Amino acid sequence: MGDIGSLVDGFGTALQPTYLLYALLGVTLGTAVGVLPGIGPAMTVALLLPMTYKLEPTGAFIMFAGIYYGGMYGGSTTSILLNTPGESASIITAIEGNKMARSGRGAAALATAAIGSFVAGTIATVALTLTAPALADFAVTLGDPDYVALAVVALITVSALLGSSVSRGLASLSIGLLFGLVGTDNLTGQQRFTFGLPVLGDGIDVVTFAVGVFAVGETLWVASRLRHGPLQIVPVGGGWMTRQDFRRSWRPWLRGTALGFPIGAMPAGGAEIPTFLSYAAEKKLSRHKEEFGTTGAIEGVAGPEAANNAAAAGVLVPLLTLGLPTSATAAVLIAAFQGFGIQPGPLLFENEPDLVWALIASLYIGNVLLLVLNLPLVGLWVRLLRVPRPYLYAGILMFAALGGYALNGVTTDLWVLLAIGVLGYVMRRFGYPIAPAVIGLILGPIAEEHLRRTLAISQGDATALVTTPFAATIYTLLAIGIVATLVLRRRAKRVLDQIVHPEQVDPEVVP
Amino acid sequence: MHEETSGTAERAPVPEIAVAIGVVALGLFTIVDAHRITVPLSSNAVGPRVFPYAVGVALVVAGVAVVLAVLRGEPGDPEGGEDIDVNAPTDWLTLAKVIAGLALHIALVDRLGWALAAAVLFTVVAWALGADMFRAAMVGVVLGFVVQAIFVSGLNISLPAGIFDGVSLLSG
Repeated sequence: MGDIGSLVDGFGTALQPTYLLYALLGVTLGTAVGVLPGIGPAMTVALLLPMTYKLEPTGAFIMFAGIYYGGMYGGSTTSILLNTPGESASIITAIEGNKMARSGRGAAALATAAIGSFVAGTIATVALTLTAPALADFAVTLGDPDYVALAVVALITVSALLGSSVSRGLASLSIGLLFGLVGTDNLTGQQRFTFGLPVLGDGIDVVTFAVGVFAVGETLWVASRLRHGPLQIVPVGGGWMTRQDFRRSWRPWLRGTALGFPIGAMPAGGAEIPTFLSYAAEKKLSRHKEEFGTTGAIEGVAGPEAANNAAAAGVLVPLLTLGLPTSATAAVLIAAFQGFGIQPGPLLFENEPDLVWALIASLYIGNVLLLVLNLPLVGLWVRLLRVPRPYLYAGILMFAALGGYALNGVTTDLWVLLAIGVLGYVMRRFGYPIAPAVIGLILGPIAEEHLRRTLAISQGDATALVTTPFAATIYTLLAIGIVATLVLRRRAKRVLDQIVHPEQVDPEVVP
Repeated sequence: MHEETSGTAERAPVPEIAVAIGVVALGLFTIVDAHRITVPLSSNAVGPRVFPYAVGVALVVAGVAVVLAVLRGEPGDPEGGEDIDVNAPTDWLTLAKVIAGLALHIALVDRLGWALAAAVLFTVVAWALGADMFRAAMVGVVLGFVVQAIFVSGLNISLPAGIFDGVSLLSG
């Protein structure tokens, strides 16, 4: 297969000392920022984006790959050692991992998370290597109506699945779509929703939006109701993983990977659902059920953490081959690609093979570096958890302001950033999920362009949207998928409820 | 019904409905403003207005759905987080200070240069969140200059030097 040769070439590029340095810098920064509480993977990537503005694309993407994977590793450390729930994809890790840490097995929990992330990340990257080129070859044959269908799938599922309220998800998505409309219409050159302001003429930059809604919005949200009182960080205690821990971990790692990659790779994916499913599966299969929710079961850390990282690699499949972002982080990554004048999609493998394969090779390298960084150095990262909160959030805002300014060097961008930050605050305050807005912003213009091209070719005949075999199949699957995922979601939620309020569900389980 | 707050369940949903109505209003505005987009004669069946209309309708539908959900007794879940006390009342004063800090930074950045404006931002925000102002200022100044030096000299990204124009590490 020619792909193997391309991958070898990719390694040839990525293993050059300069690029290795970028990869190391990326994973280190990604882990460091990801460990900081309050910063999820999407915000990590958005905040660190300005550092790459002047790099050449290959170096920049190798660094992004490192930041992306590093942010995922860092997040799990936070959720194991802080006894407050963080972002939803790591909530499960937080539950069992934190219980383990508090019963003195923190070191083992961190180790199984790190090794599980490595195993899952590597297997999922192999799966990405094998599936992405084939999918890209297929994607080249797709036409405009097919892309409309894919975009519709991504938009609908994203708004329905992220967050707990479908109507608020739809509202968030529509707000993102509206922001995506602002600017000059690509096809006719008309100004839309610019209010005659030159700053809006080029549209709202995705990076500005992401930094505003994530970093500024989060800081305002924290400012409005900061958790006071002493920080409760569980000390890393206990021995490292024992042989028995390994025996109990390897199956959950593999099962988590098997759940995470395919679900992450679907246009309707995300990392939340596979972690819930993995947790439910491990709880059911474990021979140590009594440890779940009490002293913390290692399976309950190993499985979901593997699922989380495998899903992160899975998300790259639609991103690289179709140009479809299915998570907020993916949307920011697409914005980063576009910043370099590169459009992810089916032609990426043909037009930029060197870049793509160097990127994929750097994912393997990044995983190895992360394992090395996370196993012996975990104590170093743990110290980052102790950064006093006022300084932490002041620093986040400082980097947000830097990112908003460095893009174009004009202060009007910063006012836009502040306004979007206030929007992010309101959305958090009233339970509107953030991710659909970011995805809508980047996906809206893509969807509109394909939609209008379809209808221009069909001369206004709307049936052209559904008559290609692929589009028809997609819409049918969408209908089935919506029903199925709603059911799955309800089950996942029930699992979560049981974990969070065990006393309400089965009162006899009292220590 | 007592006035005392006894958990989030009894919180009056007025602000929540107001926000949802805001979404509806945004949708109506979108539809009205979409009507003002010039459609060139050359454009095809689907011009620059169609997608905006659709987004406007989606906003109205979503907003109405949220209003109905709130009235049915399904309040929004405020986003959780490691440093968030979801049950605390909104601390408007701190919020205002942080926003003022960012606004001050924006007003100063071109005049004083990025490093000092960033130090101001850092100081105000850290102080607002409870840090000692003097210590925050010291950390902020150091951080501001270090970050500017790294970005300008190391990463080749231009940030305004302001009053330090001509200083080699800071202006690029």
